[in-house]
Amino acid sequence: MLTIVLQLIINGLLLGGIYALISIGLTLIFGVLEIINFAHGEFLMLSMYASYWLFQLLGVDPYLSLLVVIPMFFLIGLVVQRIIIQPIIHAPPLNQIFVTVGLSLILQNAALFFWKADYRTVRTAYSTLCLKTSGLMISFPRLVAFVLALAIISILLIFLKRTYTGKAIRALAQERRAAMLMGINIYGTYRIAFGIGIACVGAAGAMLMPIYYAFPTVGALFVLIAFVVVVLGGYNSLVGALIGGLIIGIVEAFSGFFLSPHLKEAVYFVIFILILVFRPTGLFGRG
Amino acid sequence: MKMSFISRKTASNLFRPKFYLPLALLLFLLVLPILPRNPFYEDLIIMIFFWGALAAAWNLVGGFAGQISLGHTAFFGIGAYTSTLLYLKFALSPWLGMLAGAGLAVLVAMGIGSPCFRLKSHFFALATIAFAEVLRHVASYWRGLTQGGVGLLIPFKPRIENFMFHSKIPYAYIALGLMLLIILVSYIIRNSRFGFYLISLREDQDAAESLGVKTSRCKLIALIISVLFTAIAGTFYAQYLLFIDPDTVFSLPFSVELPLLAIIGGLGTVIGPIIGAFILTPLDVLLRGWLGAISAGLNFIVYGTVLVVAVIYFPRGIAGWLRTWYEPFLRRLPGAKLSLAIEKTVSSPLLTSETSDPEDSDPEDEEIKSPLFEAQSLNKHFGGLAAVKDVSFQIRKGEILGLIGPNGAGKTTVFNLITGFLSPDSGKIEFKGEAMTGVKPPHKVCIKHIGRTFQLVRPFNNMTVLENVMVGAFSRAKRTKEAREEATKVLDFIGLLEHSHSLASSLTIADRKKLELGRALATRPELLLLDEVVAGLNPRETEAIIGIIKAISNQGITLFIIEHVMKAIMTLSHRIIVLHHGEKIGEGTPAEISRDRRVIDAYLGEEYLA
Amino acid sequence: MPIWGRSILLKLENISTHYGDVQALRNVSLGIKEGQIVSIIGSNGAGKTTTLNTISGVLRASSGTIEFLGRRIENLPPHQIVDLGVVQIPEARLLFPYMTVLENLELGAYTPKARKGKEENLKVVFRLFPVVEERKTQLAGTLSGGEQQMLAIARGLMARPKLLMLDEPSLGLAPLLVKEVFEAVKEINAHGITVLLIEQNVFHSLSISDEAYVLENGRVVLEGEGKGLLDNPQVKEAYLGI
Repeated sequence: MLTIVLQLIINGLLLGGIYALISIGLTLIFGVLEIINFAHGEFLMLSMYASYWLFQLLGVDPYLSLLVVIPMFFLIGLVVQRIIIQPIIHAPPLNQIFVTVGLSLILQNAALFFWKADYRTVRTAYSTLCLKTSGLMISFPRLVAFVLALAIISILLIFLKRTYTGKAIRALAQERRAAMLMGINIYGTYRIAFGIGIACVGAAGAMLMPIYYAFPTVGALFVLIAFVVVVLGGYNSLVGALIGGLIIGIVEAFSGFFLSPHLKEAVYFVIFILILVFRPTGLFGRG
Repeated sequence: MKMSFISRKTASNLFRPKFYLPLALLLFLLVLPILPRNPFYEDLIIMIFFWGALAAAWNLVGGFAGQISLGHTAFFGIGAYTSTLLYLKFALSPWLGMLAGAGLAVLVAMGIGSPCFRLKSHFFALATIAFAEVLRHVASYWRGLTQGGVGLLIPFKPRIENFMFHSKIPYAYIALGLMLLIILVSYIIRNSRFGFYLISLREDQDAAESLGVKTSRCKLIALIISVLFTAIAGTFYAQYLLFIDPDTVFSLPFSVELPLLAIIGGLGTVIGPIIGAFILTPLDVLLRGWLGAISAGLNFIVYGTVLVVAVIYFPRGIAGWLRTWYEPFLRRLPGAKLSLAIEKTVSSPLLTSETSDPEDSDPEDEEIKSPLFEAQSLNKHFGGLAAVKDVSFQIRKGEILGLIGPNGAGKTTVFNLITGFLSPDSGKIEFKGEAMTGVKPPHKVCIKHIGRTFQLVRPFNNMTVLENVMVGAFSRAKRTKEAREEATKVLDFIGLLEHSHSLASSLTIADRKKLELGRALATRPELLLLDEVVAGLNPRETEAIIGIIKAISNQGITLFIIEHVMKAIMTLSHRIIVLHHGEKIGEGTPAEISRDRRVIDAYLGEEYLA
Repeated sequence: MPIWGRSILLKLENISTHYGDVQALRNVSLGIKEGQIVSIIGSNGAGKTTTLNTISGVLRASSGTIEFLGRRIENLPPHQIVDLGVVQIPEARLLFPYMTVLENLELGAYTPKARKGKEENLKVVFRLFPVVEERKTQLAGTLSGGEQQMLAIARGLMARPKLLMLDEPSLGLAPLLVKEVFEAVKEINAHGITVLLIEQNVFHSLSISDEAYVLENGRVVLEGEGKGLLDNPQVKEAYLGI
């Protein structure tokens, strides 16, 4: 029994790392720009495809493709912010919701149009590799994804804590008017924050390729999980997104095993609603 | 022989464009289902009516009340599955099943509505998505009940009681009937007290509360009506297509398309959803057929782009745009009469408040038996900061009591404690002998005849001046006609009558302040709290508003006024209390206060008089 | 150097500012010479904060010009105005509550010019406000009112201002702290930094000001030498309505 529980915890943690990475991007965007990016999942989908094509056409290993994907998606984030998000930054919530919802619709169907609905997978030498220790099985690709995700999150947190741009982002999220008076370029900072958020989710996509498969609506699956994580962790806490991601990963592993693989999704939606109703600020969120 | 069965007025009204245009439209709609000879067009018409009905139902809660639900598919699915399962398992006629489905949907809405409405807009939207997804999963995986992903097939046995027909025409009329019913309900609501309340809470929830609007209850009722119709549409869908499965009836894209129709057509208007349906449904079918045939997904790309562009550049939708030239257009049509000038009523005493006594004008003569209002030892902390410390005062009936003090002294906090926006940590509040400590939410305070204005004016921007005041009047009048009359009187009293039909957002700041006053006046307060009414006005405007305030006082209304413009408050007030750092540091007549050392210290600095 | 010999640092000419269609400032003109302490006084709603926000670029003037050291700044974005050396300490301080005192100070030195002298500035600021140094690892949101005000001023100084604009620095502070704040303002000015002060506490601000302007309903209604205005009956009337 213990072995099973430990195995579930490990499986959950490993996947949770990626959930955390996706969610941190979402939290950053919401914390700084105060909009919920309903199209977040579609950027994940796009990066999965990017990683797929890099592998198919150039033989680049998905983990290696991170070197390309991360800067590429940072730039994509900058552009999207400038063209689509900036006009509605001060608009009423209704407009903000529907712009990103519309964007999500466009991206999903563009993928469908260009790449059809077929599932795409990447099979590498280590795709099915498993490490075995004391009766526990650890999937190698998941382990690598976990380590990389944590690494990226750590770098991000250090960046936000130590660099001037990072501090500017945090300042903007905490007290916008004062940030203006510090000489911080508000609109430039919005752009960078969004870019980083998209870069994070882009990285997550590349890391998912060896584990999962890509198809045009794959984003929808993961983004709903990300929303649950963000709400659980606290919508303006990055650490909350990290811990929330790990928790949800574990919850998913356990409910998938003890209840049913199908009901696990229902479980975290119930968690989602319960948190929204009883503790909207989440575990680490600040009033 | 004279026409005796129709009144003269009705007959003449029939010839006005305001009546015959919609009538013509109605006739067109009634005839539409029997026009086509082609099953494709028959189907298209049914779809237009179907989507129109759904969009209009969503519009009630999303447009009128401003609560963005992205989970309406949940109720659609509940309707579809309930009637279908009851029919398949118990041979219950789908007509009855439809009612059962609607009933279930209403129960569910009552359960999740209240907790979810507390959430802010983005989070409310998320919660509704999550809720719909939960239902989809339940439907998918509870195979015992729903056959899961395989879906449910309804065998085709066309008889009326089975809600199935050979020809498409009955379906078309049923769909049309549903759509017209919802439109009728929307129209009735729009012109009723409930409709005014919905729009006011959408525009500014706090201001609405202060005018007696029970915001939580109104939101819930709007949701209930909306889901009722949505569930009925779900049954219709099941009976029309004879096949349902979780992915279709509990579908997220469905939840997104609904609002799109309302937005493009014109959010919060009665006719917007129909316009949206007439434009987007054929467009969708066309795109699907044309672009979708080229490649899957292309049509949605266009759809998504339309959504993004519409929301950024045309947030008011087509109806919003139409509104600007609809009225002039109407006037050019045959039969149009010039609109009647607003009849000016004689300026008579405005209030007929039960306890007002016109003879009793000087409050200082009155023996202080019991004051109209009393606050005892009020305390309020925010974190470590004491905003209000042990503040006690009385307000006598008919007087004007001024409240002054430097910035941050706690004045608006005191107002908020009295009007139900905050609860005191300790202390007592009594009004007309009744305990009012910590009465919440604000609408309850308004019902008890305490009214207020806000420091930064909060007009309902998308309503006209008259409609703004009517929201206040509705706290005492149940019927629209009464409310309109009352509001007109108030507007006359404060001098805004000529702006009655202008949008509140188009007023100057001075007029907006008057509007705020008028709106609160319409709630027939006995005690009126004014928060910095004079601030930001030039000398002439200041004089005008002071005149209005004096007139209000002459009506017998007791006033409690926060003001910074010293000249104004010194001339207006019978008595003044002074707050500083949350404490009361002075009380007395204006003359006494202006000589009070402590007061001068607080404003000018300790050593000023040294 | 006598006042009349000094150069003009900041000049507002006929500035009008609107909030939507509400006119908050009407043809406001004022001039600040290098090294001066200038006060703007007036009752609430008179337009004092609006004036500062227009200078800082947070609000855009609808007409009129603003010149700083001879350069037109009324159309510049806020961050460029800070870089030029015009720094505002806002009303209600607006600290970054979840950052430490030290982080707040570092953010004050955000502009490229300010970053260069950061270490030096920190020393100066710590000397002026020792309590800030004591609390440097504490979260800014946990400081007391007086400490927060000191931190807000210190943070502003980190930006190496040529003109420091303070919006109601004594707001909500106990009388003893109020004295300290004004002492600090005088000392800052003695270092050569020009000060524009908005204050409710008329006595203290006029006592230390070289020049003062009285604002009423968005208009300049009175101007003159600081201490001289203390005796002016119009001032008392503007505040107390008598």
